[in-house]
Amino acid sequence: MPRHLDLGAAGEDLAVRELSRLGYRVMGTNIRMRMGELDIVAEEGGEIVVVEVRTRTLGRMLPPEATVGPSKIRKLVRTGTAYMDSIGWEGPWRIDIAAITLGTDGKPALEVFRDITVGLIKP
Amino acid sequence: MNAVLGVTLQGIQALRVEVEVEITGGLFVISVVGLPDASVREARERVRAALRSLGISVKGRVAVNLAPADSPKEGALLDLPIAVGIAHSMGEIHVTRPSLFMGELALDGRVRRVRGAVPAAILARDMGLPLFVPAGNAREVSLVKGIEAYKVEHIRGLFEHLRGSAMLQAIEPSEESVEYPEPDPDLSDIKGQAAAKRALEIAAAGHHNVLLTGSPGSGKTLLARSLKDILPPLSDDEMMEVLMVRSTVGLSLDSSRRRPFRAIHHTASTISVCGGGTNLRPGEISLAHRGVLFLDEFTEFRRDLLESLRQPLEDGCISVSRASGSVTYPARVLLVAACNPCQCGYLGDPVEPCRCSPSAVDRYRRKMSGPILDRVDLYVTVPRLTPEELVQAEGQEGEGSPEVLKRVIRARERQWERWGPLGFQCNAELPEKALKKQVGINAEGRRFLKEMAGRVRLSGRGISRVMKVARTIADLAGDVDISTVHLAEALAFREGGDLPWNR
Repeated sequence: MPRHLDLGAAGEDLAVRELSRLGYRVMGTNIRMRMGELDIVAEEGGEIVVVEVRTRTLGRMLPPEATVGPSKIRKLVRTGTAYMDSIGWEGPWRIDIAAITLGTDGKPALEVFRDITVGLIKP
Repeated sequence: MNAVLGVTLQGIQALRVEVEVEITGGLFVISVVGLPDASVREARERVRAALRSLGISVKGRVAVNLAPADSPKEGALLDLPIAVGIAHSMGEIHVTRPSLFMGELALDGRVRRVRGAVPAAILARDMGLPLFVPAGNAREVSLVKGIEAYKVEHIRGLFEHLRGSAMLQAIEPSEESVEYPEPDPDLSDIKGQAAAKRALEIAAAGHHNVLLTGSPGSGKTLLARSLKDILPPLSDDEMMEVLMVRSTVGLSLDSSRRRPFRAIHHTASTISVCGGGTNLRPGEISLAHRGVLFLDEFTEFRRDLLESLRQPLEDGCISVSRASGSVTYPARVLLVAACNPCQCGYLGDPVEPCRCSPSAVDRYRRKMSGPILDRVDLYVTVPRLTPEELVQAEGQEGEGSPEVLKRVIRARERQWERWGPLGFQCNAELPEKALKKQVGINAEGRRFLKEMAGRVRLSGRGISRVMKVARTIADLAGDVDISTVHLAEALAFREGGDLPWNR
């Protein structure tokens, strides 16, 4: 497996562990829908959460969370909506980003950005 | 009826707004429908942040409907009812008793002062509903009697009140300030000008519009400002009207019964005077409602502004129509206009020679709006005092404002007794018909008027103006019938107008 895919997979494993510690109940990982893939789907605070995991080595031009742009967000919203339909969930849901930065000493740091679509969705 | 109610302003009236909230699943989004303006639509950001400050996180698709759907809603004062409606719909609180809420939310949940609290309080009183207002508005609300109102400092306090765990502080009706503010300036502070002071007394007693003409520095502005202190104090109903206009604009309120006095600069725009703008605010003429509207340098005002004052001077109200709607604001004012007699200002001055050519004087006079002058009953020439008069020792300056005020109030009472059953308040409002039949003029006076009408070429309208003014003079003197003395004095104030213009 190429190195960047290794890094990504390791990041997702780390995110699942860390999120569980933060109180997320992980329902599934790498869920494939027709239009794309959801990294992690979890339940927290009565909501279903779609978590997009981004892992970067320190020193890259952009921090990991900044690599989720408008078109990626649109894609997440579409894929997420399709997933909620497929499982028949009619309650509230949201999209979080789990940003993992790999330090120079090889130690990862995780930061969660909650509900990234606030104010972006037009009624 | 939905239990969560807000208000929006329509003119100076508050309109009840029902806040309905539906929350469904999905990504978080708040949509507000029901003709909201930009500041109402922005409420959703403030509402979510304020609710989060209480630990309430709003999730899912939130649809807020503001009913009635066909009237435009404006202002941040709907923040609080929207927040209460959302919390109610989420089951965080239960509003069982229909209540009116108003207030703008800060991101940390504090509730900010808004405009329009007095109209909202009157709506609450008429509907018999409890009212929740920002603490900053508590004072103005306390001036409205007979309502159940609570002041809200922070949205947390409101929610605790609605949950029944801690009660908010009720707003007690405030004690009215009995003392009448010191006259500023007092009539006795003004030297000389006996004729002008007398004219102001007549104007105050009969609600007659006045034009003051005089050279620069002759004291026109001072005289005009002294008028507000010889007008009778506002009645309860009038006071409410004044408070409603001021609250709609968001101006500070005082509980004194002194009538408003608004001086407009001649560069003022038509909208600032008549009202309007994108969200239809009342203008200066409405702020001067039940008081004095003073136009200094009358000839310098833009023509279209003066023309737009014609209708409100006649009807006592002004209708403003814009794309966003049409509203009527009250505008019953006593007009006081002041100007110089000519361009250089010294025409007719005993000392300073006038430097204007006859054509310049003519041009200057043509700037006067005929239709407005037509609504003026009293033309007053204000002469400059001679240096000897000015430096003369204090004293013997005639009566002070309080004495004049007493006479004015008595004259008003007489008018009220006579015209009240017919639906008028004062002599200036009399229609032609009532004037002919009921004005009360003795035979001698009638003969005198007939003779003078021929001699000074009085028009039909001129005669009725003279009769109205004479009626006021008779009321001031306490006489039942108008006699020659009253008519002669009234004619003198008519002639004052004939001298420089209208020749």
